[in-house]
Amino acid sequence: MNAPDRVVAGVLAARLDGGGRLLFADPQLAALNARAGGAIGQPLAVPALATIARLAVRLGIVVSRAVTVADDAADIEMWVRAAPEAIGVRMAVSGWREVAAWRPEGTPREPALAIAPGEWRWETDAGLRLTLISPSAGTRHGFDPFALLGQPLTALFAFDEDGDGLLPILAALAGRTRLEEQPARLRVSRAPLVLSAAVRADGKGVFAGLVGVARSVAGERPIPSEALPARFTEDLDRALRTPLARIVANADSIHAAAEGPIGSDYAGYAADIAGAGRHLLGLVDDLVDLDAIERPGFTLAAESIDLADVARRAAGLLAVRAGNARVAIVRPEGDASVPALGDFRRTLQILVNLIGNAMRYTPPGGQVVVEAFADGDAAGVRVTDHGKGIAVADQARIFDKFERLDPAEAGGNGLGLYIARRLARAMDGDLSVESAPGSGARFTLTLLSRESLPR
Amino acid sequence: MAIDPPDSPETVAARAGAWAARRSASAVADFFLDDSDRLDERTRLLLAKTLARVVGALDRAIRHHAARLLAQGGDDNAAERLLGIRDDVAEWLSRPGALPDELLEELIARVRHDLLADALPIQLREVDVPSLLVRLAEAPDPVVAAAAAALLAAESRQRDVIGGDTGLIAELHHRLAWRVAAALRTLAGGGAAIDRALVEAARRSIAAHDEGERVEAVAMRLALAIDARPAERGPLLIEALGDRRLALFVAVIAHALQIEFAEIRALVVSPVDERLWLCLRAAMLDRATVAQIALALAEADPRRDIEAFAHRLDMIVAVDPLAAAGALAPLALPGDYRAAIRGVTLR
Repeated sequence: MNAPDRVVAGVLAARLDGGGRLLFADPQLAALNARAGGAIGQPLAVPALATIARLAVRLGIVVSRAVTVADDAADIEMWVRAAPEAIGVRMAVSGWREVAAWRPEGTPREPALAIAPGEWRWETDAGLRLTLISPSAGTRHGFDPFALLGQPLTALFAFDEDGDGLLPILAALAGRTRLEEQPARLRVSRAPLVLSAAVRADGKGVFAGLVGVARSVAGERPIPSEALPARFTEDLDRALRTPLARIVANADSIHAAAEGPIGSDYAGYAADIAGAGRHLLGLVDDLVDLDAIERPGFTLAAESIDLADVARRAAGLLAVRAGNARVAIVRPEGDASVPALGDFRRTLQILVNLIGNAMRYTPPGGQVVVEAFADGDAAGVRVTDHGKGIAVADQARIFDKFERLDPAEAGGNGLGLYIARRLARAMDGDLSVESAPGSGARFTLTLLSRESLPR
Repeated sequence: MAIDPPDSPETVAARAGAWAARRSASAVADFFLDDSDRLDERTRLLLAKTLARVVGALDRAIRHHAARLLAQGGDDNAAERLLGIRDDVAEWLSRPGALPDELLEELIARVRHDLLADALPIQLREVDVPSLLVRLAEAPDPVVAAAAAALLAAESRQRDVIGGDTGLIAELHHRLAWRVAAALRTLAGGGAAIDRALVEAARRSIAAHDEGERVEAVAMRLALAIDARPAERGPLLIEALGDRRLALFVAVIAHALQIEFAEIRALVVSPVDERLWLCLRAAMLDRATVAQIALALAEADPRRDIEAFAHRLDMIVAVDPLAAAGALAPLALPGDYRAAIRGVTLR
């Protein structure tokens, strides 16, 4: 989380002499300059400010620009205006805002609006006069979009209150925030629409207009659902899997120096790229699974399977990785058989996930024990490790979506156990954990035994 | 798609040989290419999109009309073959040599223009005042108002995702229309009826095309209608840049110097062409205006070196407007004439 931003209101002033030396500065500016190693009577020490002052002198015009200045742990965003005078420069700094140095969710300069099929664009200037209307809107709704250019926005749309009796556009204009879900009607045809728009600002942050899209409301509004649209995951799967597989394959062959000798640094980078690619591939797999299991009516085939056999196969799939990690996997005896009801492929997936997790938490030289058991109506598999264990308070949490106990830890994306439990439950089984900190963890997958079938 | 008879081994070998030769030539050309001459990824991506849009517009128009003609003549089979083409015509035409160089040059210039326009820092003249074009569209002079409204419309049209027109000059539109028709003929498997229908559909598209509605043409009309005096040029140019109306900016300079729009556009979008400063001097702009224009362009295009410009600003301003105009005289000659001179001397 970012610390709350610190804002300095008003305009801070500074003056430089003809040689670019600081004559005077308001306290905040003077302090910033001092932290950068400068002082009164010396050249400005903050590079971004010095550049603007120098440009203003050399070009002989006012130069104003938004800059971000790094200052200790924080970045300071500000708007700097430098006006050349007969001798020297007068500087004015406004919009001083301190923000935490690194923000993963950066705000794009021009908020982009995605246009979906069936939507059309419109834009206004600062005076809310229309400057752009997609000609396709005219074809669709039967009006001349060009006749409306230059007209006020309200000549095109009549705005309606939303479900809460509010006009979202008023809030958006007042707060200069993104406009979402504004119900409106087209003036010419009374066709109901939903508008959304991003606010465009000029360099100083002054409102410079709206960049919007309009979507037709055909009868009902789509009901927002927690599940992703079906096409989305399909597209994601198709769009990502092939390129990722190619990235991983190429990075692996670079790492192996298959095409000829390369520097060891580069071989290392290639290994990192391949590792990251594999992680993303895993995430794609998981998202596709997640999408499937979160759809209403998701069920799995109940076929006769041998849990001991599935457990042996899962352990076998991980044998090479276990060898590399110097972890031993103790698997069910070759002749043991535990009949159960479930989907073979999904059960295998759950067990690979459980054993893989257990390996990750087992120190080199340790072992992971995989046992299959039958217990009346239930049949199951226990996967036990001797890692650091899971605190009681965390035991429920690990089955939640995107939960990871230690986000710094490599591997995993926080979906594996969530998916594993959902799959187990879709087969009328369950997945549970017992653990104590320091003494390892035991995950138990239970499914219906074949004996539970009514005869 | 019609099922073609299998190609003879000779045809296969010849095709593969031609392909290999082309690949090899491209590789050699690429190696000697200067990095600054290479298209950057954004330009390349937008170029592909623009090409797809322009070709797509013609493809739809020609294919649909030709299919209608075939169906009216009772040849449903041919109409279906035409409509059933699944290949992407733009992709099919995006092979080296399939499109005229002049078309690609025009589209690259247009893409560079659009990228630069979108990156310009917005500078409002005053808060809560309608923007430049909106104001001009309400000007008391009906010629200015009509031209400004037309420019608003043309820019809307050019930014439309679907796009009904190519927005090209007539000659390029004609050539592209024939290429698209030829591509459709090949993809549909040919035939006399299809040829006739495609010819008529291409002719119809050519006849319907109005090059006067292009952004460039409309911007020039507006610049002509405004006919800014030397003293008015500076504020007009600065405001056009601040409102991201780069086409108007180019047109005002082009009109002032009586040079073609495309020539000035090429100078404006180039991060290194010094002739832009000569243009600004020839247009009798003062030091502060030249500096403001340079600053705005540098903010929009980080490849421009504003420090180096500042270093030369005094030198640029010292150039006499008449001398600058004289130096630019070759640019004022018709483009075809200059291309012909180049063609003759390069041989």
